[in-house]
Amino acid sequence: MQFELNENNALLKTSIREFLEKETPLAKSRPMMEETQEGFSKELYAELGDLGYLGLTLSESEGGGAAGVIGLAVVLEEMGRVAFPGPFLDLVLAEETLCRVKDQQASQFLQETVSGQKNVLLARSEALDDLERSSLQTRFDQDMIRGTKLPVSYGASADVLLVTTAEGLALVPRPEEGWKATSLPVLDHAQRFVEISLDSPGRLLTDKQRADTILKEVDQLGALGASALMLGLMEGSLELTLDYLKERKAFGRTIGSFQVLQHRAADMWIRMESSRSAVYRAAWALENSLEEASLLVASAKAYCGDSARFVCGETIQLFGGVGYTWEYDPHIYYKRVKTLEQLYGSTRNQLEAALQSQGI
Amino acid sequence: MDFQFSEEQQQFRMELRAWLKENLERPWIEELRDPKNDEKKLFDIRRSWQAKLHESGYLGIHWPKEWGGRGLTVVENAIFAAEAIHAPPIASRVGINLLGPALIHHATEEQRKRFIPKMLSGEEVWCQGFSEPDAGSDLAALRTRAEPDGDDFRLEGQKVWTTFAPWSDWIFVLARTDPDDRYGGITFFLVSLHQEGIEVRPIRQITGESEFGEVFFSGALAKREHMVGALGEGWKIAMTVLAYERGSMSLAHLARFDHYLKDLVEGVRENGSLQRADVREKIARLLVEKEVLRANGYRTLATLASGQAPGPEASLEKIFWSEYSRRLADGALDLLGLQAHLLVHSPHARPHMDWAQEALYSRAVTIYAGSSEIQRNIISKRILKLPSS
Ligand SMILES: Cc1cc2nc3c(=O)[nH]c(=O)nc-3n(C[C@H](O)[C@H](O)[C@H](O)COP(=O)(O)OP(=O)(O)OC[C@H]3O[C@@H](n4cnc5c(N)ncnc54)[C@H](O)[C@@H]3O)c2cc1C
Repeated sequence: MQFELNENNALLKTSIREFLEKETPLAKSRPMMEETQEGFSKELYAELGDLGYLGLTLSESEGGGAAGVIGLAVVLEEMGRVAFPGPFLDLVLAEETLCRVKDQQASQFLQETVSGQKNVLLARSEALDDLERSSLQTRFDQDMIRGTKLPVSYGASADVLLVTTAEGLALVPRPEEGWKATSLPVLDHAQRFVEISLDSPGRLLTDKQRADTILKEVDQLGALGASALMLGLMEGSLELTLDYLKERKAFGRTIGSFQVLQHRAADMWIRMESSRSAVYRAAWALENSLEEASLLVASAKAYCGDSARFVCGETIQLFGGVGYTWEYDPHIYYKRVKTLEQLYGSTRNQLEAALQSQGI
Repeated sequence: MDFQFSEEQQQFRMELRAWLKENLERPWIEELRDPKNDEKKLFDIRRSWQAKLHESGYLGIHWPKEWGGRGLTVVENAIFAAEAIHAPPIASRVGINLLGPALIHHATEEQRKRFIPKMLSGEEVWCQGFSEPDAGSDLAALRTRAEPDGDDFRLEGQKVWTTFAPWSDWIFVLARTDPDDRYGGITFFLVSLHQEGIEVRPIRQITGESEFGEVFFSGALAKREHMVGALGEGWKIAMTVLAYERGSMSLAHLARFDHYLKDLVEGVRENGSLQRADVREKIARLLVEKEVLRANGYRTLATLASGQAPGPEASLEKIFWSEYSRRLADGALDLLGLQAHLLVHSPHARPHMDWAQEALYSRAVTIYAGSSEIQRNIISKRILKLPSS
């Protein structure tokens, strides 16, 4: 039994934190979210590539950092803490898909994603809810991929899409004239969703059965990654709250001295720390391919979803009026977790997955 | 990061399992259901079970060997608690779980020699004399006095909510030795209940049983040689006791909760509602939270196993398991309906689970060992550093 991070991961935590605190405090990252079309800084992602963060989970022979699932959780937690914008987790998931496909072109795209030169992203969903559908409408036929994918996270910035079709997983390079992408603005203004209509040449990488197996593994990593992000978002949001509680005055005293607010802050902390236990236990189980991983990952995602909504919502409330302004930061956290609750396996689906993992 | 039991720990578990199979004749719930067993009889069963455990070296598992322990760690102790959930609770639970660590940390060698072996064997059963009618959450407001009498002390005052007082032989008491010093005027005494000047009165609880009681002192003897720590050090020692009371128990509770949730799932399967969406969502959240509780528990264990004493973080575990136990019991009384309200000896009661008792008891766990409100005070002051009013 040991809860501490090992030396490598502890080092990873310090270095990513330093990088993010310097490069993307919210004062610097909000303009990226709010004033750029892509919603993130391509230069910064290239730098993440140079520093090795983009290949974090891959093996050394694939040019990766072999940091494992726990290492990924560490980095995502830190990214959540500063509400780091852009498709970091999506890129990791695309890489994890590529490296499971034995294919030369896939390997090449993998290398280019790891180094930050190209964005390869998954395009899977065909509906805005997270309900299970019996079949995919997108088809692969005579080297052409036809169909509509939505929402595709940061899809407009993709150089290559990994598209799920009824026939299997297909690789679709960005056409010369760009994607036929319609932007889907959502509640989280930092997020960039698009709807992409495909009528493009591409290659089938694997058949449907193999694709399903691969994506099931990748989904676990996605759910775990989203949980770690939400843990970090809770941390960032609670830090904001505690600073504010210690500084804001009402009725001649700091509001943090009101017991009712102290107890609400304590509840936020309880949720956050319990999420931390859940995230790292799940990461550990996934890293070691333990049987209980499916229960633990589903539990972490569902619990972090409920908790992050609670924590980040409380932050808005405890800030009072300024919490409802565009200028202050609480809404950045709140909006991000609202979206994350739905993505990478919605809370409802994770609850069901938890039951099924126990034969219930 | 590692959330696994070592091979030796697994081995310990398997041996214990075999031992329990051999030695546990009747699950505790059967004893509770047996109309021949009154409260006194039930307590005798707990005493003899404790003696049996002691003979086989299953008490004080994480204590040093020189104090009659097994010399293992809190992890094996937690494994024991988890495996033994169908066994009778031991008689001197308060002694072993709370006083034991305090004696190991703060007592003299003579005191440990005098008290620990008989505490382990169950020959001497202990109760905790902290709370008073006007000193509960505000424990330092306690007024029971220890007046000097020659070398020794005489106690005057009253304790209340004293669990097992009606069955105990000894009580550890926080008493005031200086009326003007709120924290520094409290001293920690070990006091025999079998003497003049002590009266114990049982109090009936909402379950109908009298597990706790009141203890009245009028001139009872508290010997100086049975004072733990120095004069005025009682508060510090009490804090050790409370930290052990709050933390590190998660795994034992978890083993119970695993069993309870399994019974709840069986119940909804039997009553045909398992496929209802509302039922599934409720059960799923109980399942998920139970795993979070387990993760918290492993995390605390890892901290304790590395040799650290439980800190204010213990409040997290206390709040989580106690409030979870309410949600779980409430969930069962809701999803199983009146079947879960049936008392253990009623016809149609669920054979392996006493939900009625559990539902009532779950209202106590958020009060004792520092109420949920007090735990939140601790978190907001000591961890979040929020200002006092
Ligand atoms: C089943 C059971 C077994 C027990 N066994 C023992 C035992 O063996 N030995 C022993 O010494 N004691 C025992 N106790 C007593 C227990 O420790 C006290 O009941 C507890 O500390 C609360 O004290 P109180 O009952 O005086 O309530 P009070 O302190 O009067 O509290 C009343 C309410 O006010 C709240 N409150 C109090 N102060 C604050 C504050 N500062 N901020 C916010 N809210 C506050 C409390 O949370 C509670 O909700 C037991 C209690 C129970 C229920």
